[in-house]
Amino acid sequence: MTIVSAVLLGGIFGFALYKSGASNPKKLMSTLRLENLSLMKIILFGIGSASILLSLSALIGLFDIGHLSIKNTHLGVIIGGLIFGIGFGTAGACPGTCVAAAGSSGVKKAASSIIGGLLGALVFSLSYGWFQSLGLFDSMNLGKLTLFNISDKFPSVINIGFGGLLIMGLILTGVAYILPDRLTKPEPAKNHISSSI
Amino acid sequence: MHNWKWIKGALLLGIAFFLAALFVKPIGVSTQFSVASGIIHSALDPNVIQVDENRESGYKSTNAYYDKSDGKLAKSIKHPLNYDFIFVLAIPLGALAGYLFDKGKKQKDKQLDTEKTEINLPEISAPTAKTSFIKKYLPSFLGGFLILFGARMADGCTSGHMFSGMMQGSVSGFIFAASVFLTAIPAARYLSKYFLEKEVI
Repeated sequence: MTIVSAVLLGGIFGFALYKSGASNPKKLMSTLRLENLSLMKIILFGIGSASILLSLSALIGLFDIGHLSIKNTHLGVIIGGLIFGIGFGTAGACPGTCVAAAGSSGVKKAASSIIGGLLGALVFSLSYGWFQSLGLFDSMNLGKLTLFNISDKFPSVINIGFGGLLIMGLILTGVAYILPDRLTKPEPAKNHISSSI
Repeated sequence: MHNWKWIKGALLLGIAFFLAALFVKPIGVSTQFSVASGIIHSALDPNVIQVDENRESGYKSTNAYYDKSDGKLAKSIKHPLNYDFIFVLAIPLGALAGYLFDKGKKQKDKQLDTEKTEINLPEISAPTAKTSFIKKYLPSFLGGFLILFGARMADGCTSGHMFSGMMQGSVSGFIFAASVFLTAIPAARYLSKYFLEKEVI
């Protein structure tokens, strides 16, 4: 049963990554260059709609609160995020999207990212002890902090439950909706780039 | 106003993240890169992970990362056929299904979707003669190295921190997203221009 649900849910996720265009490095790159924001709209709307679905199902008692999983906030999240961003802007891929691309178009580039990723993960495993001794994961440690009080297990910033998360989801989808596709009109010089995206 | 496709794609993503959390747990991908590289690592160095009956996971490791959280990762490396690992292996299958579905649809009616054609063309077109193999794939390789190194340090990636995290209103998700875009936008705009000029990306 575990394996069946893993294949189904992983398959749906891969299908969604491909269909939304998120697995396409060229589309990711044009969004990160702020040339075409369509993928930014998709990401914001996707997160927002997931929040809405999650809060609504929790409010009607359909969602098992035990499934919630909040990660620790610490200095490693910031430094790791900054390093992640450099790679994201270089490859136009993130761990999930390059795995999805490996099954669709741009297979060779995706494979390069996956091999690089395996090496990156290995180097991190080998250096974890050192980072830990530096106190990277203990500084600025806020624990499993959430914005809204969705579970007694986690500390929260605001003492509102799933209603707050629902409002957040509505705001995120709203922002995604009004965000323009492009910040500037494409310049003629850039046209050959945009058209190849 | 002519294009509503982005909302469909976004909803699909939102539903995928919601369903995973509803039925099993929030989606995460990058940990499985540590598991996969750990499998290679422990094949090369069989002593790195050892059986430890006194622990709930049943394993211990000389590597501090695999040993973390009572040897949780060490166990996954020794027994990778679990939900999380299979989930990630199924991602390319789902993407392939979407890809084949699109291809079939295209062959059916020749009225090609203009956007899709534009996206697929550069992938199909051969690289210019001067682009060498290394120059073509080096950015993807280096980028891949950095995203996984960074994701493991942050304990999550775009899926785990940004999507799953922000979806639950996790503070770490927002902080991760802000940190990522702080460097990703300049990197994409300036760093990759170097590769772009050479028509690599």
